[in-house]
Amino acid sequence: MQNLLIFILEASLAIHILMIAVCAWRVWRGENAIDRLIGADLLSTLTLAILVIVALILVNSIYLDVALGLAALSFIGTISLAKYIVDQSVF
Amino acid sequence: MEQILQLIALIAVIIGTAFSVLGVLGYIRFPDVYTRLHATGKVGVFGVVLLLIAAVNLGLLGFGKALVLIVMLMVTGPVTSHTISAAAYRIGIPMKRAVRDDLANISTSQYKNRP
Repeated sequence: MQNLLIFILEASLAIHILMIAVCAWRVWRGENAIDRLIGADLLSTLTLAILVIVALILVNSIYLDVALGLAALSFIGTISLAKYIVDQSVF
Repeated sequence: MEQILQLIALIAVIIGTAFSVLGVLGYIRFPDVYTRLHATGKVGVFGVVLLLIAAVNLGLLGFGKALVLIVMLMVTGPVTSHTISAAAYRIGIPMKRAVRDDLANISTSQYKNRP
């Protein structure tokens, strides 16, 4: 059971890294600004998932604290970027 | 008991990864900004939350910190999706194959930029 769990976690880590590569390509070649903004938000969410998987593989709880900080900062960044796209100014 | 918790964690990791793969697939294949937002909302709410449930079952972190992260993700994910779709509507990005548009006849100052 332990070996199977390690194998599934490493396969999941590989799949998430592949999905991050696909999203980065899509942000680079996006249709419009909103499409690229969705891609950036999805990149931060997938980075959060990768941090949780790394914490599961290395059995180390410090990566989950990093994930908590990243969740808060990516939320604020996405909201302010959406407001900047609409109003052409942040404040 | 240890075996059962590991089995629950394994199933949670597999289902969470499947939700993430389907979300990214929808982000690539869907035709429109609004439908793409519908797909990418699943990655934040289901994929990461199921991975966190796996982390709780393996005894990696306490239930309190996991609950803080899960509630934070389930609040900020829909708020982010709503903000992005409101921004897309207000700068006038068209919908493909839409049946109707309920906001088309509203003439408030919020939607004055829309063509």
